Amino acid sequence: MQIDHDSILTLELPYREQLQLHRTVFHGGDGPKVAVVAGIHGDELEGLYVCHRLAAWLEELGRTRPHILRGRVELYPALNPLGIDTLQRFVPVFDTDLNRNFPGHREGLLPQRITEAVMRALAGAALVLDIHASNVFLREIPQVRINQASAATLVPLARQMNIDVIWLHGALTVLEATIAHSLNSRGVPCLVVEMGVGMRITPAFTDQLMTGILRVWRALGVLAPDLALDELTHEPLLADDNNVHYLNAETSGLFIPEVEHWTSVHRGQRLGRIVSPHEGSVQSEVRSPVDGVLFTLREYPVVYEGSLMARIMEVRTEESVQ
Amino acid sequence: MKPPALLRMTAPLREDFEIAYHDIGSAAAAPSLALVAGIHGDELNGVFVLSRLAHFLRGVAAGQQPGHQLCARVIIVPAVNILGVNTRSRRWPFDSTDINRMFPGYNAGETTQRIAHAVLELTRPAHYRVDIHSSNLDFEEMPQVRLYEPNDGERSTARLFGLPAVIERRMNAIFTSTIGHAWRAGDGQSFVIQAGQAGIVQPAHCDRLFRALVAFLSRTGVVTGVALSDEDEEGHYFGLQHTFPLISEHAGLFVSRLDVGRWLQAGDVIGQVYDGFEGELRHEVKAPIAGLLSGIRRQPLLFEGDLIARIQTRQAVSDDIDTHLHSQGQ
Repeated sequence: MQIDHDSILTLELPYREQLQLHRTVFHGGDGPKVAVVAGIHGDELEGLYVCHRLAAWLEELGRTRPHILRGRVELYPALNPLGIDTLQRFVPVFDTDLNRNFPGHREGLLPQRITEAVMRALAGAALVLDIHASNVFLREIPQVRINQASAATLVPLARQMNIDVIWLHGALTVLEATIAHSLNSRGVPCLVVEMGVGMRITPAFTDQLMTGILRVWRALGVLAPDLALDELTHEPLLADDNNVHYLNAETSGLFIPEVEHWTSVHRGQRLGRIVSPHEGSVQSEVRSPVDGVLFTLREYPVVYEGSLMARIMEVRTEESVQ
Repeated sequence: MKPPALLRMTAPLREDFEIAYHDIGSAAAAPSLALVAGIHGDELNGVFVLSRLAHFLRGVAAGQQPGHQLCARVIIVPAVNILGVNTRSRRWPFDSTDINRMFPGYNAGETTQRIAHAVLELTRPAHYRVDIHSSNLDFEEMPQVRLYEPNDGERSTARLFGLPAVIERRMNAIFTSTIGHAWRAGDGQSFVIQAGQAGIVQPAHCDRLFRALVAFLSRTGVVTGVALSDEDEEGHYFGLQHTFPLISEHAGLFVSRLDVGRWLQAGDVIGQVYDGFEGELRHEVKAPIAGLLSGIRRQPLLFEGDLIARIQTRQAVSDDIDTHLHSQGQ
């Protein structure tokens, strides 16, 4: 096994410095190539830790059983390195969401040069994982989000990812500028993983996802078929635009949740309150509209009218159908 | 009298806030014209001009402008992103959402979706709709009308502003979430105007924009009795493939002494790029093609790949790169 650290793009900054887009490449045999990309948003760090853990696993493999790697693994932990280094979600200076700049342009602005270089580097991959960590407001259970247009190819892969939810969403034109849409439309399968919360790392989620990633890589032939791996511990529920309920704040204030993330809730159950620091009374009670599972929960307490506090996936049991 | 509000909302720790607008003319009819600015809280030329225009139209409606008459109803929203204006933020400051990426919005959704929905509900019934922008903090635009895949009626009406340029641009995926696109779902005509640079009020551009809006009001018959100045007559129409974006292949400190709105010959000097540490001249930026300088970079810190200028050309050029660029500044 050979390990290379290289850069897929070098751009000059205004004052003396350069911006480089680094990756780590693990070469095994002639098997398929897979990639993990993270850090498209500079405030989402979960994927950076996943990259570290995968690098550590692969380095150990290289020391002990290098023949197990049959293909090629590429890790891109920080597609928005300036954003991560300056604690900004968007591309600093350009104030643009890097994940709305795909597929990019070789002669465009810096964000488009980054995305064009990424698209070029990822061409030919058997699978790309694009790992996101929500934002600073909301905590997400490990999930894969899939555009319905790509469901046939991607859902079977996602089922093996050891995640808790697969969320199928409708096709929106604005999402055509994302890495996932750009790759999938060019025939490179790309799964969008969402987990955790912005500006934090949740090691337990990384452990959970690692199991899924390695199993999928083995199934694709990147890792030897006889490699022993942990069994799946999570089976995903299927969410779509019909069974996901959004709880938006009725009033502004401080949201104080009363339930844990990723628990079953029943219709009418109080999930939390919105209070005002100016007075003792409760401004608004937050109740579940359905029986279901709380898979998104607000982490950041201050809410404006309309702020999302929770998402619940409705679970239709036979009893509730009757 | 307290102005009407298109949306009222609670705030976490301050008093409730509202997005106020001007509703001038007979309330019996549907509005003929809706003007919106300040969707980005740092674009102040439009906020200033629309507040001045509302003042002018109120005077006309009250009979304080002899010979003038207001014949239709006009809706004016000087600033949508009110918290952004007050805190000098382009985006909605609480969650850094760009309101002009939230259209058509949703009245039970996120805060900015609710704002987008309310702005759209108010303005969509107007026959003419105009969204005014001032680029961003880095770039200055000559006052111009922008059309995105327009119909023939819009092509023709766009000239009524009398601005020096009407520029047609291609749609891209991002543009589908703007108010300009959301307006297209209904009847009527929609326009985007770009004027100047964000972060400041530029009196010359504001005067030009004010005259353009008054000329539009006059030529569409919304206001009668206005004597229009002859100096604004020369307008140019640039179709698709007549916009050349000049991209820098050098990083450094960029300086230019040029004003927007002037005509360039191929080879004319646009500015210089200096090494910000050594101080030496790295590159002299020259116009690669003749045309009208419709926009120029004012931010000196230059990345490799940055936009230095836009030149509107008489001969056709590829608009391949430009299609990717117009999510910036709008």
